[in-house]
Amino acid sequence: MGTLEHLGGAEASGLFWPSLLVGLIVAVLCSPLSVLVVLKRMAFVGQGISHAAFGGIGLTTLLAALGWAAATGGARLPIILAFCIAAGAIVSWLSERGSAGVDTAIGVVLVGSMTLGALLLDIAQRRTGQAGVEWESILFGAIEAVTWNDIWPALGAAAIVLGSLWVLRRPMLFWAFDERASVAFGVPGPAMRLVLMVLLSLTIVVAMKLAGVVLATALLVLPGATALRLSDRLRSVLLLSGAAAVVGVLAGLVISFQSDLPTGAAIVAVLVGLYALSLLAGRAWQQNEADR
Amino acid sequence: MNGAATENDSSKTPEVAYEHVSFTYPGRNGNAALSDICLRVEPGERLGIFGPNGAGKSTLLMLTMGLLRGYSGTIRVFGMPPRQASTRRLIGYVPQRSRAERAFPLSVRQVVRMPAQVGLGLGSSMSRGGAERVADAMELVGVEDLADAPIGSLSSGQFQRVMIARSLACRPRILILDEPTVGVDMDGQRRFADLLGLVHDRLELTIMIVTHDLRTIAAGCDRVACLAKNLHAHVSPEGLTPKVLAEIFSHDIAGMFGDVHVDAHRAESCPETCPAHRDRTRNEGSDGDA
Repeated sequence: MGTLEHLGGAEASGLFWPSLLVGLIVAVLCSPLSVLVVLKRMAFVGQGISHAAFGGIGLTTLLAALGWAAATGGARLPIILAFCIAAGAIVSWLSERGSAGVDTAIGVVLVGSMTLGALLLDIAQRRTGQAGVEWESILFGAIEAVTWNDIWPALGAAAIVLGSLWVLRRPMLFWAFDERASVAFGVPGPAMRLVLMVLLSLTIVVAMKLAGVVLATALLVLPGATALRLSDRLRSVLLLSGAAAVVGVLAGLVISFQSDLPTGAAIVAVLVGLYALSLLAGRAWQQNEADR
Repeated sequence: MNGAATENDSSKTPEVAYEHVSFTYPGRNGNAALSDICLRVEPGERLGIFGPNGAGKSTLLMLTMGLLRGYSGTIRVFGMPPRQASTRRLIGYVPQRSRAERAFPLSVRQVVRMPAQVGLGLGSSMSRGGAERVADAMELVGVEDLADAPIGSLSSGQFQRVMIARSLACRPRILILDEPTVGVDMDGQRRFADLLGLVHDRLELTIMIVTHDLRTIAAGCDRVACLAKNLHAHVSPEGLTPKVLAEIFSHDIAGMFGDVHVDAHRAESCPETCPAHRDRTRNEGSDGDA
């Protein structure tokens, strides 16, 4: 069966194309952010923020079970986003106060929000008496979870994230490169951290349905990590990161659709494969340089 | 340079003035990191802030750049509060070489331009004047040939030159270097001293060097302030006698060997008019000039 032919079918169009569009938007968002996340060593922070989304999902599900319909409609994304941003803020606050290391703070927030999510989802399930919670889809993503209604929030998030990165590109890069010096030269360091947390949260909320809570952070790490293995020029790194993210999302979606695999897992598998290739290519390239 | 002369010369406005500055980090049970620091940094001088680890050097540095709040006393940098001076980019800060991330995909020029670009508007690019300042700074420290090289490919000496160029590109009025010679061999030390001399002579900048390395003080400072929570003495580098050093490092030594009694020093080179000396003699009730 030809994949394209299959995708053009009526059954596929409602499933595949919204996922593809959202996936491409997510890829474009993740490519510059993942470069920052890797360079600023914030992969684990991203992990903490994305797991916080699980607590938000638990809360929206419970509120819906209690009869607040908007909790699964218009209020859903803002609530989850608020959870993510709060998680980022708590991690910053705990680690800046020095009462806990960053990794401890993230560990606590990550486990705390996962636990909260699990409890709230369970309570909601008992209240409604339905066995409706699709754990796998929440954790690992699913094509069928993404609909045409998800396009607009994704576009909105893209405008905010890319716009902010463009406006703040100079202070943000300086801050990421050398935090203390940047602050000494007048860059508002805490504000930079907060903005980056919010942008990460927005991206994770958009990527969540497709890639799942657990795997969304992979999109915020792997494209940048792959690109940084291949180039030491900023422009090339950004382009390569974008290319890796787009290839990962496209190939992952096709594989997931064809083989009925969890979408997030398929996308991440492709991204991990690309990263492995970049390790090999990077090593061969370095060897080549050394021989010259 | 005679410390006493500069201390008394009130006709010059100091570049940086600390008056009875104390600072305690939150949650340290009143264990002060700095206590009652009085110090003036005079225009055009090269002042070394010397002291052992944990003496409060970094704290003093962060206070000078306005990165810590909640201190007591007064700090004025060019007559203004520290944060104001640093946001106006009057302070050229050169961090310890290990602090910046060398894995960044940036060229030397991109790094040197960073502080000068902080204040630029959305789409605007650097003015011709700004680009010239960047080029001048790279030329002065001798990295103009490396302008397009990735920073990951530089030796650590070259990287430090880039860090200095980055600070100079904003045309700051004072250059503050944080432990510039950590892990540098003798050759590197000499090259660093030459470079600092060149920068000082050409730009007539005031320079503060924070270090625990005596060789750095000897190589490039006109005056030195010894710090061990409070200010011990400001002396010329030659005045760092074994006695002075023993006192400064006494709590380091105590850490290794238990309590060691060191005679309170009366270093000949410590000017009797310096605040630290005055306080000391007053406290001891001796025949000082208090």
